[in-house]
Amino acid sequence: MKALTIGLINLKRVLRDRSNVVFMLGTPILMILMLGLLFGGSREPRLGVSGAAGPLAERLVAALAAGGAVQVERVADAGRLRADVERGRLHGGLVIPQDYDAAVRSGGRADLRYVSLGRDWDAIDLESAVRAAVQRENTLLRAARYGVERGAGPFGERLAVVSRAAGDGAVRVTTTGEAVIPAGLGAFVFSAPPTLLLYMFLTALTTAIGLTQTRLLGVSRRMYASPTPARAIMAGEVLGRLLICLAQGLLIMLGSALLFGVGWGDPLGAAAVLVVFTLVGGGAALVLGSVFRREGPVITLGVLLGLGLGALGGTMVPLESFGEGMRRVARFTPHAWGYDAFTALVRRDAGLLDVLPQVGVLAAYAAALFAVGLWALRRSLVRG
Amino acid sequence: MSLIEVTDLRKRYRSTTVVDGVSFTIGEGETYGLLGPNGAGKTTTIAMVVGVLARDGGGVRLAGRAHEVTSLATKAMIGYVPQEIALYPDLTARENLAFFGRLYGLAGRDLRRRVDEVLDVTGLSERSREAVSKYSGGMARRLNIAAGLLNRPRLLVLDEPTAGVDPQSRGAILDAVARLAGEGVAVLYTTHYMEEAERLCDRVGILDGGRMRAEGTHRELVSLVGAGDHVLITVDGAAAGAVPALERTPGVTRVDADEARLELLVAESRAVLPLILDAVTGAGCAVRSLEVREPDLEAVFLKLTGRALRD
Ligand SMILES: Nc1ncnc2c1ncn2[C@@H]1O[C@H](COP(=O)(O)OP(=O)(O)OP(=O)(O)O)[C@@H](O)[C@H]1O
Ligand SMILES: [Mg+2]
Repeated sequence: MKALTIGLINLKRVLRDRSNVVFMLGTPILMILMLGLLFGGSREPRLGVSGAAGPLAERLVAALAAGGAVQVERVADAGRLRADVERGRLHGGLVIPQDYDAAVRSGGRADLRYVSLGRDWDAIDLESAVRAAVQRENTLLRAARYGVERGAGPFGERLAVVSRAAGDGAVRVTTTGEAVIPAGLGAFVFSAPPTLLLYMFLTALTTAIGLTQTRLLGVSRRMYASPTPARAIMAGEVLGRLLICLAQGLLIMLGSALLFGVGWGDPLGAAAVLVVFTLVGGGAALVLGSVFRREGPVITLGVLLGLGLGALGGTMVPLESFGEGMRRVARFTPHAWGYDAFTALVRRDAGLLDVLPQVGVLAAYAAALFAVGLWALRRSLVRG
Repeated sequence: MSLIEVTDLRKRYRSTTVVDGVSFTIGEGETYGLLGPNGAGKTTTIAMVVGVLARDGGGVRLAGRAHEVTSLATKAMIGYVPQEIALYPDLTARENLAFFGRLYGLAGRDLRRRVDEVLDVTGLSERSREAVSKYSGGMARRLNIAAGLLNRPRLLVLDEPTAGVDPQSRGAILDAVARLAGEGVAVLYTTHYMEEAERLCDRVGILDGGRMRAEGTHRELVSLVGAGDHVLITVDGAAAGAVPALERTPGVTRVDADEARLELLVAESRAVLPLILDAVTGAGCAVRSLEVREPDLEAVFLKLTGRALRD
């Protein structure tokens, strides 16, 4: 009961400050919007193509452009193509070798070269689209070649036949296999979960300052002078932080669902991830708020850890665009585990059971943080 | 009978002993002052008495019960006014008081009424809906005290409640404390202002370096110094003529004359003053002014520790 009183006064203090409300409510929604527009591929990604211009090469280019998911552009040479990709004018580039037509016709091998920085959603989106289109074209060419070898007719004719048989004449771009972005999902589906994680953790860490103040001002000591047991004070301070962190998470979930139509997948799974991540955020705030005897390091570390771990955990730039090494480092952040779990829930229709490993890791994080945090808070309360 | 008995309190931080065997008792309606310079161990002693700091030795009994950091029943009897302004600056006075009131088990109408009462006692009713951060230093101090009164304490513990306030606020604070003592509240009051201890406290303990150097009423402490009162007299004309008569006056232990000024050392000025006046006028001197200076706690402190109370 008294724990609730203490928890609620924390919530009241946070909501009293207008700038906090703007930070908690406004900026995450803005961030979802911006990241969604930036990385979500609201326009088709631009693919540059350079190299051979024979009929078969043109067929491949048409296949890439078909379906309207990719905007294809001819570029004079491979050097230009590379420069345009590096400058970000193009999201990716395909270099078709000069001997493409001849090699394909004779049943030989043609090596296509794909150029990409692979650092945003559009690039990743594009790469999987290109892979899929090339793979399909490859299948058709092999089938046609097979027909020719069986003496069924000339290459051009066989190709037309198998193409007709395979689909609507032209090649449809369908993502297959390990496509990052399934067709039919809005851009915000990709920006909402990372934003949720980034903000939940950041908001939680900002509540550490409140706890440090409470200790430094002597308010917690005054609480302890009242007939309130130490465990109720600690429970109250923890509860306050969890409430704020959870409120932040719910605001983003509901806000993004209402405003951008973001679906969060299996409700049980989403709730589980939300709850354990709340515990991680609250635990981190408890540790940060309990160990220092000054406000300065709490503020500095709060911002540093909130943004740093967020960036490292793939909440600013997609985890998929990280290199191998960075991805391994990212595994140390709770964000990456939350990201994994939400990705599975939101994009792959996973259920609670599928995300149990991630939920377990996050729960372990929370347990460790709580052990340290409660110990430090108790010490500061009783030992002065 | 004493409401609170403090026996042999001890506190160590690492190897330094900060409170070293402090004992005292306070009765109902009695005001006890802990007087000592910065770093004497006043706050540490008080924190252990209140039960917010674990002690390394000694004991506290309140209303006949052992009082520990975990004793909720005895904590409910204590009102604690910490040395620092222990309030949420971003909340209003009323919100702060309501919060602490709830921690003392108040709720609903009782809570509202009690908040109104303590605001009234400390003269803050008018501005109770303002954030504490907007308060002046003196107002914040008064609110700090108000929060210590919410539970109608039987023991009120105030740790330097007048630090940094203007004389008017200080007067109001001292009056309020005196009124509460008059209603039977036992008061433990720390200060390094000896005037406050002299004015407010029935008994004073002098704390220095974590040890209780002396304890007693003002009179008792002053008698430790051994000296009597100083009486300063200015007369018309030369004062030397009055010296022989004054030296014969019983109770006067020393006489110095310097032109128109006489300086006397007397055992008990109240009893001797009429005789002194008789002696001076009898010697043909007209008295222009007379001043009695009683020895104060400052002098006691100087004598006991060899240092001044304030640097
Ligand atoms: N948590 C702590 N750790 C180490 N030393 C401490 C701690 N708290 C207090 N001390 C030391 O104990 C001594 C007594 O401190 P205390 O605050 O009790 O003095 P005080 O009489 O209240 O002084 P002031 O008039 O300045 O308030 C000081 O030397 C102080 O540095
Ligand atoms: Mg002190």
